[in-house]
Amino acid sequence: MKRAASTSDPLWFKDAIIYELHVRSFQDSNADGIGDFPGLLSRLDYLRDLGVTCLWLLPFFPSPLRDDGYDIANYVDVNPSYGTLNDFKLFLDAAHQRGMQVLIELVVNHTSDQHPWFQAARRAPSGSTERDFYVWSPDNQRYKEARIIFSDTEKSNWTWDEVAGAYYWHRFFSHQPDLNYDNPAVMEEVLKAMRFWLDLGVDALRMDAIPYIYEREGTNCENLPETHVAIKRFRAAIDEGYSNRIILAEANQWPTDVRPYFGDGDECHMAFHFPLMPRIYMALRQEDRMPIIDIMAQTPTIPDGCQWALFLRNHDELTLEMVSSDERDYMYYSYSADPRMRVNVGIRRRLAPLLDNNRGRIELLNSLLFSFPGTPILYYGDEIGMGDNIYLGDRNGVRTPMQWTSDRNAGFSRAVPARLYAPVIMDPIWGYQAINVEAQLSDQSSLLHWTCNMIALRKLFHVFGRGTLEFLSPANRKVLAYIRHYDAPDGHSETVLCCANLSRFAQPVELDLAHLAGRVPVEMLGYVPFPPITDKPYPLSLAPYSFFWLELQPGPEAPRPSALPQQNEATEIIMRPLKPSNEVAENPPST
Amino acid sequence: MTPTSSDVDTRQPTPDATAPAPEPTPLTGDLLICLTPLPPEDLEATLKNLAGAFPEQQTAGNGNSNILVAIPDAAPASSPDSVLSTAAPDSSPLRLLHYSSSSTALFLTAADYLNAFKMAQEHNARACILLGPESQTLNPGFVRDLAAALLGSSAADLILPHYRLGPNNGLVNSAILYPVTRALYRQCPRFPQAIDVGLSLRMAERLAMAAQPFTAAGQNDAILWPVAEAASANWPVAEIDAGPRGLPQPASTDLNALLSETAGSFFSDIEARASIWQRVRFYQPGCATPETPFSTGTLPDVSPMLEAFRVAYTNLQEIWSLVLPPQTLLGLKHLSLMPPAGFRMNDELWTRIVYDFILAYRLRTINRGHLLGALTPLYLAWVASHILLTGAGAAPEQHIEDLAATFERDKAYLVSRWRWPDRFNP
Repeated sequence: MKRAASTSDPLWFKDAIIYELHVRSFQDSNADGIGDFPGLLSRLDYLRDLGVTCLWLLPFFPSPLRDDGYDIANYVDVNPSYGTLNDFKLFLDAAHQRGMQVLIELVVNHTSDQHPWFQAARRAPSGSTERDFYVWSPDNQRYKEARIIFSDTEKSNWTWDEVAGAYYWHRFFSHQPDLNYDNPAVMEEVLKAMRFWLDLGVDALRMDAIPYIYEREGTNCENLPETHVAIKRFRAAIDEGYSNRIILAEANQWPTDVRPYFGDGDECHMAFHFPLMPRIYMALRQEDRMPIIDIMAQTPTIPDGCQWALFLRNHDELTLEMVSSDERDYMYYSYSADPRMRVNVGIRRRLAPLLDNNRGRIELLNSLLFSFPGTPILYYGDEIGMGDNIYLGDRNGVRTPMQWTSDRNAGFSRAVPARLYAPVIMDPIWGYQAINVEAQLSDQSSLLHWTCNMIALRKLFHVFGRGTLEFLSPANRKVLAYIRHYDAPDGHSETVLCCANLSRFAQPVELDLAHLAGRVPVEMLGYVPFPPITDKPYPLSLAPYSFFWLELQPGPEAPRPSALPQQNEATEIIMRPLKPSNEVAENPPST
Repeated sequence: MTPTSSDVDTRQPTPDATAPAPEPTPLTGDLLICLTPLPPEDLEATLKNLAGAFPEQQTAGNGNSNILVAIPDAAPASSPDSVLSTAAPDSSPLRLLHYSSSSTALFLTAADYLNAFKMAQEHNARACILLGPESQTLNPGFVRDLAAALLGSSAADLILPHYRLGPNNGLVNSAILYPVTRALYRQCPRFPQAIDVGLSLRMAERLAMAAQPFTAAGQNDAILWPVAEAASANWPVAEIDAGPRGLPQPASTDLNALLSETAGSFFSDIEARASIWQRVRFYQPGCATPETPFSTGTLPDVSPMLEAFRVAYTNLQEIWSLVLPPQTLLGLKHLSLMPPAGFRMNDELWTRIVYDFILAYRLRTINRGHLLGALTPLYLAWVASHILLTGAGAAPEQHIEDLAATFERDKAYLVSRWRWPDRFNP
């Protein structure tokens, strides 16, 4: 019998609002300067009130933390800094009680070099099962077509291990050796780890770096056919033993190369739409919808039971791998004037600093995030417009403590400030004194309230998570207009016209909505009816960076002809009170 | 002012020797021609040209001459009077005035305009002509035509010469002054900052008033912008063919300093007149420009210019990124990778660069001196591109006209960014 999930809807992920957070960064409960599970549990009510429905936790497993936890030393335990396994269980239950699902990482491609598997492998004889948990070579000349992903720090995908007397393969940091999936034992161990967490009740698994799990000579070692065989095994194991659990693929590839990760509905349930994200920023800066239209045109349809995961920012750099070199340069010029803001092939800034803290831009991009086809993912702190610290190494500048209050340590921890795992943001614009949850909760006009309201609005409609997408092509390219439509199984349908002004100046636009003539657009935030649609171009005026969500409701029915004689306007209708039947009339009629 | 013999009225009784000498009657005339300080031989040549331009006697009813020529006091003792008397004795309509000036500027300066108006007013001139350095190279016919145009019945208040220069002369004007003036003020004079100008009296007065704050602050060599002044007053501006002219050579070959001085003054003037040029919305049809025959000769070596640009591309990224938007920076990156033979800066790119530097000047994005210094290598890149383009057969004037048309088309960009300087733009 399959283990039940916390939700009974197999497509819960299509309507989800995912919130990505790092346990370490969210709330410290024991004043050691590091966030932990008890602290996170104490903040679940905030997350519930925000309206998010699924929490994505960055890796919290035992780790030397040389890659912020993605270098795993033990797949089936909790880093003691974050608490115990029991703390995790308590958190998981509490989240479920509040109607939230939990998504955790399954870092399938590599481990830490401190993992017992690697420590055994480097000492094991060549050709042994233990040795073959990883990919070894006597030289560093194999797989030369494979690119280096962490180009800022690594010069090769091979590193010499003195103990092993051989080179080992790693697509990421040199302290993260790649697992060898050609060894069946590896798959078995990873499946064990996967089942461990699913047995506890975890709702979803994010398969980190899934395109890189196989290597073959003469290829770029990405998206190989064997990868999909492996994913099918993961999926089959989940479907066999669990209900309503999902796999989210992290495949930073072109849309057509991501499509295979959905399989025929027998691989991953969800996958990130990486190429869309930088193009949203490009379209905004260029004030031209074409980058978005272009990438969506290249996005293939996916199986009905699958879903794209959409995001504006995350814990990593704003990746620019899936853009052309000119587009990459443009993005660097546009969003990272200071070279310190760049790392690898991307930009390590948070949402608000990227947009120069412009509230209009922030709301506009969030409106796209919430209305595009897919499941939106919010990065922790972006709901209050948190800033970043580009002077911290690697991607740590976007992983600073959550800013809860204007008190010491932003209310994140009672520890001595110097003990925090990272300094809080403290500049005049984005510092915790100015940007914090407490202040924004008491400010009805805050970004936090706006985000809450938008999430709540989105959750009223299934169309955003489950509907189709049709782009309109108005002459004004600074306006992005599209229609979302959903036919529900119960017969009702939802149609929403979304219109976004990508420009910093007001824009006019005329939309061809003739095929929807007769419908009445109703602005969804204020429930204000707009003029009915006719067969003529529908004019709209958009303020700078503004957007409309207009629900296209059926027009009013024409009144049916009345059976009663028509009364002219001069006729008075005199209402006389009814007399009781036993009352004697004052002037009874004479007989 | 030294009275001449013709001014002394011999019909009057001999003045009493004990009484103070009466003030000499000022010369009067229709036209005042002001010369800037010139070396003796050049002054002599200029005066001969002027004598040749105005040979006829055209006396006014009161017997006074109608063309006054003002020369700086720095004129040498080998007197220009003797030159005039030799070239054209009493029959010449020209009469000399002396005034104080020690200007060595390439352009007409604030002090020049102020002096010109004072003298014009004092001597009841109806109009002024200011001739700048190297005026001896001017075609006498041009000066005569200029005078006729100024004194004619439908005269413009500001008349500028259209010089016929070589394809590689006056490039600061071609690259920046002309296209920007044309786009902003809807005025087409090819040389808005001409070395010679013709002014109505009221135009001279307006320029003198504009000059006074500068001269009062000791900035006698400040540059004024006559076209902008005329546009601000909504007075007509005209242009006449001046033929070839020798250009004054700067004492220093520091292009950075020269460009900074000129562009800095120009950009300041643009900032001051924002309310004027932003209301000028509709453009005239393309200004008629006579095709100027020129001798191509040997192309200048553009290698130093390209090298200067490439070095600046490496060293000035930080400054450029504060001023220029991403699309422009991307264009410069492409430019930096072009091979020398194919080096071409397209007109749209240069237009945006100039407009964004004008805006950055106004916003004081960075120190203005540094800003203008950062413009120099970009200007050199444009010059190199222009030279290579014309060397490949393109007509120089057509290229400049195309460039000016691009500036006109893109004026909306400058206006919108001026009014909303948010740097979050394409």
